[in-house]
Amino acid sequence: MASARAVFQGTLLALTATLKNAFRKPNTVRYPKQKRTLPGQWRAGSFALTIDPATGEENCIGCRLCEYICPSEIIAVTLRKGEARKNGIGATYCDVFTLDYQACMQCELCIQVCPTDAIVMTRALAPVATTRDGLFLSKERLMANGRELVAEPALTSQATGTKLREWTDAARGLPPAEPKTEGGA
Amino acid sequence: MSAPIEVVEREFGELALNMGPQHPSTHGVLRLILHLSGETVVKADPSIGYLHRGVEKLSEHLAYDQLAPVYERDDYLAPTANSHAYCLAVEALGKIEVPPRGRWMRAFVAEWQRVSSHLVWLGTLGLDLGGALGGGTTLYMHCFREREKILDLLEELTGTRYHTNMNMIGGCRYDLDGAMAAKSVALSAEIARALPELHALAGDTGIFRERTEGVGVITKDLALSLGVTGPTLRASGFPTDIRTAAPYDAYPELRFEIPVRQAGDALARYQVRMDEIAISLRLVDAIVEGLPPGPLFSRKPIKNPKATKLPAGETYVAVESPRGELGFHLVSDGTAQPLRLKINAPSFANLQAVPHLLPGGLVADVVAILGSLDPVMGDVDR
Amino acid sequence: MTGWLGALVLSATVLLVAMTIVAYLTWIERKVAARFQNRIGPYQVGVPHGWLQPLADVLKLIVKEDITPRSADPLLFNLAPVMVVAPALIGFAFIPLAPGLAVVDHPYSYLFFTAFASLTLLGIFAAGWSSNNKYALLSALRMVAMVASYEIPLLLTLLVPAVFAGSFRLTDVVEAQRGLWFIAAPVVGQVAFLVFLVCALAEGNKVPLDLIEAESELIAAYNVEYSGIKFALFYAGEYAHTLAICALAATVFLGGYLGPAFLPGVVWLLLKILVLFLGVLWIRWSLLRVRIDQALRLNWMVLLPIALVNLLAAAWWVARS
Repeated sequence: MASARAVFQGTLLALTATLKNAFRKPNTVRYPKQKRTLPGQWRAGSFALTIDPATGEENCIGCRLCEYICPSEIIAVTLRKGEARKNGIGATYCDVFTLDYQACMQCELCIQVCPTDAIVMTRALAPVATTRDGLFLSKERLMANGRELVAEPALTSQATGTKLREWTDAARGLPPAEPKTEGGA
Repeated sequence: MSAPIEVVEREFGELALNMGPQHPSTHGVLRLILHLSGETVVKADPSIGYLHRGVEKLSEHLAYDQLAPVYERDDYLAPTANSHAYCLAVEALGKIEVPPRGRWMRAFVAEWQRVSSHLVWLGTLGLDLGGALGGGTTLYMHCFREREKILDLLEELTGTRYHTNMNMIGGCRYDLDGAMAAKSVALSAEIARALPELHALAGDTGIFRERTEGVGVITKDLALSLGVTGPTLRASGFPTDIRTAAPYDAYPELRFEIPVRQAGDALARYQVRMDEIAISLRLVDAIVEGLPPGPLFSRKPIKNPKATKLPAGETYVAVESPRGELGFHLVSDGTAQPLRLKINAPSFANLQAVPHLLPGGLVADVVAILGSLDPVMGDVDR
Repeated sequence: MTGWLGALVLSATVLLVAMTIVAYLTWIERKVAARFQNRIGPYQVGVPHGWLQPLADVLKLIVKEDITPRSADPLLFNLAPVMVVAPALIGFAFIPLAPGLAVVDHPYSYLFFTAFASLTLLGIFAAGWSSNNKYALLSALRMVAMVASYEIPLLLTLLVPAVFAGSFRLTDVVEAQRGLWFIAAPVVGQVAFLVFLVCALAEGNKVPLDLIEAESELIAAYNVEYSGIKFALFYAGEYAHTLAICALAATVFLGGYLGPAFLPGVVWLLLKILVLFLGVLWIRWSLLRVRIDQALRLNWMVLLPIALVNLLAAAWWVARS
């Protein structure tokens, strides 16, 4: 059992610690008046289907890679064929693209596999709704988010598919290959 | 359907109290059926399963590349420890090499999450011992204030604070640049400076000592027979740590101490975990300093998850999560989905000590013991 | 006839003011506790400092559903909140606010105050027993063991100012402090004050001795089955009890309404009560909770002998001078 002296000293120590804290500046962020800046790779925002700003065409080619990789199985995509795009990424489009945000765990795997950077996350806070339908992102909502990103590119999370594949490239950061020399020295 | 559990008072004067799944101090949804004689606990029966989500069964239906983020929800206070163990198990079975920088970055996030998990443990221990309307809350707020800084660091690094999906089979996803490395070093110094204040509100308080000294003693024999792991085991005198016993990732090249105490009571477990916080803060600095250059990931970019097949066989790999030995036993039959994946959860093993530790103590000791064992129900129930 | 009319007006005023102070004590507590934890307390309800928060809390509690469990004892269950609040409020009647001005100025007002303060025990026990809930029952058991034990050193230390003043009338006790506040009496006063502080924490269910309502073990303990206006009465009763104890301590140890003449006596009394309340908050929000056996050991092995010796020393000192 601790001695009475230890209890007394310990009590004084706790009291002093609390008193010192009473005069420090509080840590509270007075949301919603004060908002914090979201980091560049923010992935707890909403999704968007991007549009090529140069040509105005949607980037999604309906390849369904995001649908296959999603662990929560919340994405549903169907493919349709159309006219070839001006920027050369092909003639297929997505007919239906739905994302049920309720079960999204923000793992970013869908972003990582997208070959055309069509699906990205936005640097805004996650959508809030009062009904289940409100969290069901249809293609219209995703395209609307995409148009917002054309107007304001800073809203895109930096972790797009190309960037993620670049960061995890198996050759990245390796020193360049030494040119072979004849013999020694 | 099994019949509901019958709670019967066995003799006159005994009170059967249901410290039910909804309780401020049971660290999640743990149901404790306590038989009390006055204030003394005579018998304690833990009842688990309230957070069972069938993760092991789910593993049999998803492909290997899809599964890494799923396990982060098990031990939700140290999410990357789970996916870390999973990736190590798959890499062991599939003979997949991980580049050095990838291994060191995994250890970096693992150590920061160890600090974060121990801060949650300390804060909730304060709530348990001191009450939501008293000094416990002050300790809780200070711990969470420090933890918020760690979560902000992880957010800048990966994009989310918590379930970061940092680990992939073959490496990891996010990298430290110079600015982030400097932030990490500054943060570890800041938290190390705040530790004495946490000590002043917790362990150095005489009242804390009175509540935890001699309470919930796990003797060496009991520890071995129950199979407790982690800080609970190290507080009973065994210097066992998976990071040195079966090293993985960056740990073979890092030098660090393993805190051990002999008393085996709640105070010893407190001291071991507080030492671990200090050691982990030094470890993240060492990792940042010694981070080798190179790629983070050693495979081709993931396209179709069903294409990744592992050879048939089985393996067991464990990591040292903040709660102890977190192991994944993976059995593969050559297809793109695991045949069976069993998770060896440290909180499950530690929780088995509860029926042995609680009897003989008072009701107030129940919360002290549960707090010192640090169970996470997501880990127990999976 | 103005005698009893004046007394009625005075008692109504004191009651109203005391209840408003009790409501704003909750606000003070939340703001001060927040500062100890590096945050700001309520600030939205009544910007910028959240001063309408107590009003919002009271309104919320009033409109909540009032549940009485089917197997609870209806009479005791409904009477318990009143039994907890009323004695604290009655205690305000005895505190002298100015020389000769108290709602009740009785030769034994000091004893009456302490007697009424002890009645909250019965209310809490009634709540714990009649709720038909094992958590409430455990709390009632603890309370009977603990609070009844802590009454003894509390009363022994409260006798010290009476011994110094030579009277049980609270006004006399205050007047006897014109030369020196009793807390400043060498050794005896400080020891009496410290022991009183510990016992008052126990009586008022404040951490570190809030075992009766140990939310992390027994959830809400004796008021676990209460909701709505009855819970509001318990909540208000706890603060009213704290206010009454602080008022008593301010009166008998810190000189009550005595103070330099540039402020009226009532204001001095309120300032002293505020200082004591802040001290209680400081202790409450820094320390952890002790266990029941440690609390009882503290009482019987430490506080009771000290209080007895202290009382004898005070009596010897008075007899000598």
